[in-house]
Amino acid sequence: MMCRADQQPDPHRAGDETSDAVFAALLEDSAEELYESAPCGYLSTLMDGTIAKINGTLLGWLGLEREAVVGRMRFTDLLTVGGKLYHETHFAPLLRMQGEISGIALEIKQTGGGRIPVLVSSVVKHGSTGEPLLIRATVFDARDRRSYEEELLRRRKAAEEARKQAEADRARLQNALAVLQQSLLPDILPSIPGMEAAAHYHAASPDRLGGDFYDVFPLDGNRFAFFLGDVCGKGPQAAALTSLTRYTLRAAALHDPDPVCALSTLNSVLHERYTGSGDPRYCTAVFGTLEPDPATGQVTVHLAAGGHPPALVLRADGTADYLPTPGGLFVGILPDAHFATATTTLDAGDTLLLYTDGLTEARTGEDRTALFGEDSLLAFAAHQAGRSPQAVIHALTGLLNGFGDGLDDDTALLALGVPVRPATSPATRNPE
Amino acid sequence: MDIVRRNNVTVTGNPHGPSVVLAHGFGCDQNMWRLTVPALAEDYRVVMFDYVGSGRSDASAFSEDRYSSLDGYARDAVEVCDALDLRDAVFVGHSVSAMIGALAADAAPERIGALVMVAPSPRYVDDDGYRGGFGADDIDELLASLESNYLGWSAAMAPAIMGNAERPELGEELKNSFCATDPDMARVFARTTFLSDSREDLKRVRVPTLVLECTQDVIAPQGVGAFVHEAIPGSVLITLEASGHCPHLSAPAATNQALVEFLAGLR
Amino acid sequence: MSPLKITARDAMTGPVLEVIGALDYANATELREQVTTLAFRPGQRLVLDLAGMEFCDSSGITALIAARNHAYSAEADIALAAVPAHTLRVLRMIGLDQILPLYPDSETAVRS
Repeated sequence: MMCRADQQPDPHRAGDETSDAVFAALLEDSAEELYESAPCGYLSTLMDGTIAKINGTLLGWLGLEREAVVGRMRFTDLLTVGGKLYHETHFAPLLRMQGEISGIALEIKQTGGGRIPVLVSSVVKHGSTGEPLLIRATVFDARDRRSYEEELLRRRKAAEEARKQAEADRARLQNALAVLQQSLLPDILPSIPGMEAAAHYHAASPDRLGGDFYDVFPLDGNRFAFFLGDVCGKGPQAAALTSLTRYTLRAAALHDPDPVCALSTLNSVLHERYTGSGDPRYCTAVFGTLEPDPATGQVTVHLAAGGHPPALVLRADGTADYLPTPGGLFVGILPDAHFATATTTLDAGDTLLLYTDGLTEARTGEDRTALFGEDSLLAFAAHQAGRSPQAVIHALTGLLNGFGDGLDDDTALLALGVPVRPATSPATRNPE
Repeated sequence: MDIVRRNNVTVTGNPHGPSVVLAHGFGCDQNMWRLTVPALAEDYRVVMFDYVGSGRSDASAFSEDRYSSLDGYARDAVEVCDALDLRDAVFVGHSVSAMIGALAADAAPERIGALVMVAPSPRYVDDDGYRGGFGADDIDELLASLESNYLGWSAAMAPAIMGNAERPELGEELKNSFCATDPDMARVFARTTFLSDSREDLKRVRVPTLVLECTQDVIAPQGVGAFVHEAIPGSVLITLEASGHCPHLSAPAATNQALVEFLAGLR
Repeated sequence: MSPLKITARDAMTGPVLEVIGALDYANATELREQVTTLAFRPGQRLVLDLAGMEFCDSSGITALIAARNHAYSAEADIALAAVPAHTLRVLRMIGLDQILPLYPDSETAVRS
């Protein structure tokens, strides 16, 4: 490509005899001489591959005498076994079909046993009636190029390995996160005889590990316990605290289900664990027990709260009220904490609603001065009063979605209610 | 599954004629039959396809497990015959496809009524008195060379090395003009082909069979055609004055004549 | 919302930190770090003047508690001055009004 022959002699030097002489000498660099000593290999073969003509450059690379090659060897005889195979399965068919083929990487064998990576381009010369006559090939030394390519390939393989490793790592990490997240929240809520329960969790953190928690679990034959809360902070540290909190509360409740006792145990554990660590961590929590009365269907709720927004009770008659727990201290701050208690009774159609402050602190305006707030929540709840826990949670989920970017904190919702009609018990006969 | 799409099946020629299936070997794709089709089109319904992993087949259907044995490729062939509901078709297989045809005919005798084996070789490695043309070392080198020839394969499609994200049209153009396959799939096909041993399978061939060999074939050297011929009872061996491994390209007239005469004899 | 700005001065009773802007997840550590650089003598009182605090989230609350713990560990006292209404409501809800003495303004806090 470099040696184009279409340049005109420089007109300014047209009369320069010295220049003419040099030019004439160049012209005497005959085509034959150029062919023999060209900086690339030339080769002509019959259609069956028998070598008819070969230049000195290529003979030099091969370490062969012309007499041993011309008429005696085929093009494929110059190639390595792999090259032969590639020639037969790819190169030759393509050359036949296309009439030319260019830049194919092959290796030629040297008499000393060495190999030279080359790039081969071939064209078929056709006769006057279109019949293929012979194949002309140029062979370029590709040693440097091949080593660059091999380096490229090696790098590419290394990059590919690194990418696969990174993907595997990420998958493992995501799996670990999912397992951790599952350990923070119940997969499904247990079925509570004579009650219905529903929950919703909105995780603000993109890595999904949240700082809110809730749970419902059986205490003994009749009673159930529930809790819901919010640990301070976000991300993995918050999740570790959440996990500690959840399992401490469950274990404490099995030992003594009294709500104040359960929260006090959690308080001692968190205070011991985090005070003096330089990274104080606390949580808000509401913990309670459900005690159904099989005779009346009523459920008595005892609860205690530390630093948590008040629970809501939605009544069958369409009213809603907060169940205040004032003065209950953040759990984990002081070695001896005070927790506020409250008691209520749920009748058919009543629902107890627990939530974290992600709901009440959701922004309803451009900045943080306009928050959803407890008054709006009370109004919203009153509108839902009398509906099933599932319906209440569904409505609140819609409310949360409506906040859009205004909802920037984790939010947990838990609704526990007594159905208007008694839940179907196993003893109930199915219709025939 | 849409086999016609998966295997890029093309049907041409005389829709009322007997069916002839043309199956490519390792390397290129159904384009290899370009010079064969005109000789058959008038009298025969000509079916061509690409094995999964070759040509314009659906690469997403590739599984290393399935295509690590010739049976996997034979299933492709049978599934193509099933999809078109072929009966007594003549299966023309080039190179390794000749052996794939033998397996397919054994698996689906109602589909395949005759075989044409173009430059067949049931065993590429020399083995205890058998001369396949390659030593065990050669095969190792060959497979290693296939590995390193990732560059060779891709020199004509260098963009594939670099992923070619910025200029997808470049890769497309090169692929169109080249018997290009995904290097990983090509390696599987090469390994399956060159390490296979189908000598026993030949004994189970029960259909009329034409064996076409070339005088100068690096891949299936002289003597191999005779071995195949002797292993298949009642087969016909024709030695074509042709060089290379692809007589249907290098000597199309002689190849087509042998093929047409064999097909005519079946009717 | 203004970014957090903390200014320090010394009163007779001890250091006074004026917290202006948002004390939230993004910058509550600033307050915590600044408090740890303070040197108390036993019996002194750290006053946090929150008159200019526009917002305080749970991280901010944590910083207030950390400040209390730091003061107590030096046998010093802590007081909050001019707590904004919304934060006061939160402090009451989480019971912090029981452990953090509250004063209407910093003048009262440094006199008491």
